[in-house]
Amino acid sequence: MASKDVVEYASPARRIANVAVVVFLAVYLLWTILPIFVMFVSSLKDLLEAFRIPAVGDWSGIALFFDFEPTFKHYTNLFVNLNFGVYFFNSVAAALGSAVVSVTLGATCAYALSRTEFRGKKDLFFWIISTRMAPVVAVMVPLYAIFRSLELVGSLWGLILAYTTFNLPFAIWILKGFFDNVPFAIEEAQMVDGATRMQAFRSILPLVAPGIGAFLVLCVLFAWNDFLFASIIGSGGAKTLPVATKELVQPQNIQWGSIMAAGVVTTLPMMFLGLLIRRYLVTGLTMGAVRE
Amino acid sequence: MATQVLPGGALRGDAPGGINPVGIMPGFVTRDGVTVLEAEPLARNPEPSRRYYFYMMAPAIITLAAISLYPFFWLIWMSLHDVDIMAGDKWVGLKNFERLFTRDAKFSNGWLLLIQYSAMCLFFEVLLGVLIAVLLNRSRWEKVLVTVFLMPMMMAPAIAGLVWYYLYNGTFGWYHWFMQSVGLLGETSILGSPSTAMIGLVLVDIWQWTPLIVLITLAGLKRVPRDQLEANMVDGAGEIRNFFQVVLPNLYPFLLIGILLRFMDNFRFIDSVLILTGGGPADATNILPVYLFDVSFQYFKLGRGAAIALTLLVVTIILGMFLVKIFDSPAARNVGRTEG
Repeated sequence: MASKDVVEYASPARRIANVAVVVFLAVYLLWTILPIFVMFVSSLKDLLEAFRIPAVGDWSGIALFFDFEPTFKHYTNLFVNLNFGVYFFNSVAAALGSAVVSVTLGATCAYALSRTEFRGKKDLFFWIISTRMAPVVAVMVPLYAIFRSLELVGSLWGLILAYTTFNLPFAIWILKGFFDNVPFAIEEAQMVDGATRMQAFRSILPLVAPGIGAFLVLCVLFAWNDFLFASIIGSGGAKTLPVATKELVQPQNIQWGSIMAAGVVTTLPMMFLGLLIRRYLVTGLTMGAVRE
Repeated sequence: MATQVLPGGALRGDAPGGINPVGIMPGFVTRDGVTVLEAEPLARNPEPSRRYYFYMMAPAIITLAAISLYPFFWLIWMSLHDVDIMAGDKWVGLKNFERLFTRDAKFSNGWLLLIQYSAMCLFFEVLLGVLIAVLLNRSRWEKVLVTVFLMPMMMAPAIAGLVWYYLYNGTFGWYHWFMQSVGLLGETSILGSPSTAMIGLVLVDIWQWTPLIVLITLAGLKRVPRDQLEANMVDGAGEIRNFFQVVLPNLYPFLLIGILLRFMDNFRFIDSVLILTGGGPADATNILPVYLFDVSFQYFKLGRGAAIALTLLVVTIILGMFLVKIFDSPAARNVGRTEG
């Protein structure tokens, strides 16, 4: 902002304002990381330690939160006794499967949409984006009925198809905007030199590869974080991590240590991927409407 | 009549029917009173290329039709039937809808709660998001802080729901302890009482999705035209006046996009609500998608569920039309502009 160019006099009022800003941002920072921090720490606590809490109003009791013997037994328990290896694989297979299908089909379709004009293109476009924006529960009602008759409920294939209902329109929509930014002159030059259309298409792929990769990762993220489809369409044979984690919540004897450990296992890879594609995050999360 | 000379767009070959790369010959063409330098193909060669593009589009379009258009018609069919897994489906006409609009208090209540829930989430997210973005925009720590701030968005909403469920717990939840200690809450947890449960859900949504508004606003702030700011300052505006007179008007298209996206997401996702309250206590948080979930997948009244789903879809489609309009507007084109 322009204010950087202006000489700022550190008047007392401004100094107070600056302190207020720092305090406000610090509080917001705390508010943001606290739940994540609690999740990490609680995953390392023994069952009884996780339930300890100071008396109401006893502020020095906060120390109780840090008073524990770190243990990794919840993590081993997850993978040894609770089958989380299988659920992890299901999550990876369903998310990656739908992401690859969506981006492959989506990229070719988006390229063609970007390079051609025809009547009804706007309507086609609207249909594509409205598919993506449809509420998941609403989509699931007919999908469940259809998948049940096709015996796809409880299978990884069913889950991959279900995720494709939101990932494919996303991929088409966002990659079309991406191809629009690649000048046609590049392909044209190739074709003047005698390349076929397919070769011309291939010639611009290196240019868009980073973006395509980033949006593939975003598709993985959307599918990985899904709970609704997985809990109904995937129930039985294709349990994914969020569903398996939710199932650890029993009416009695809730295994908080295991639940938090499962939360960490589910969250950590996505946080890592999110950082990896940080540059494309805003574009992806706003359906390409906002670029950073 | 104004005559404008523009370098020919047709060199990009986006004239209908594709291009003939060899036959390009530039010339001036007047169209609608505007003279354009345009390359008119000497010999039109439209058909083969169009078919080529059609083949490229077909797999995706057919797949999408199979998994979205076909289920949509199936949904309409279901909404007109009494769907029963055991006994088979029975035609009931518009009875499902009649029941929703005349006798089903949970349906109208669900809509009301959904609007209420979304409005509360959006109000606080936009307020907080803009404030934080403005403060971050001139902070030295912008990059680091933004990276930390967007961590909640990467978390599965279901997992976020479970973590908050733990924090809110009435006997061992740390947030419950905190709220009790500062005197905000009594013995019952925030989710346990019908009067506070909705606030509990809104807090989780604010925690997870304010960062999105921060990111969108930050992108907008980087595009506030400097000359406008400087001109306003020459006129004697201070920082606060500058914000309301120059920055905020420039942010509107960005905020509008953010608000619509969040609004639709509140319709789309109910993962955390299902886990935190499941619609309870006493239907205080039974927002429409949750009610739809219960009807369809707890009681397996798929016909009635389909009718509810259709009403939800219609509203989403109308919202989507607004969104696409904004995407297409000149203001939004400015929003989507690559870094200038």
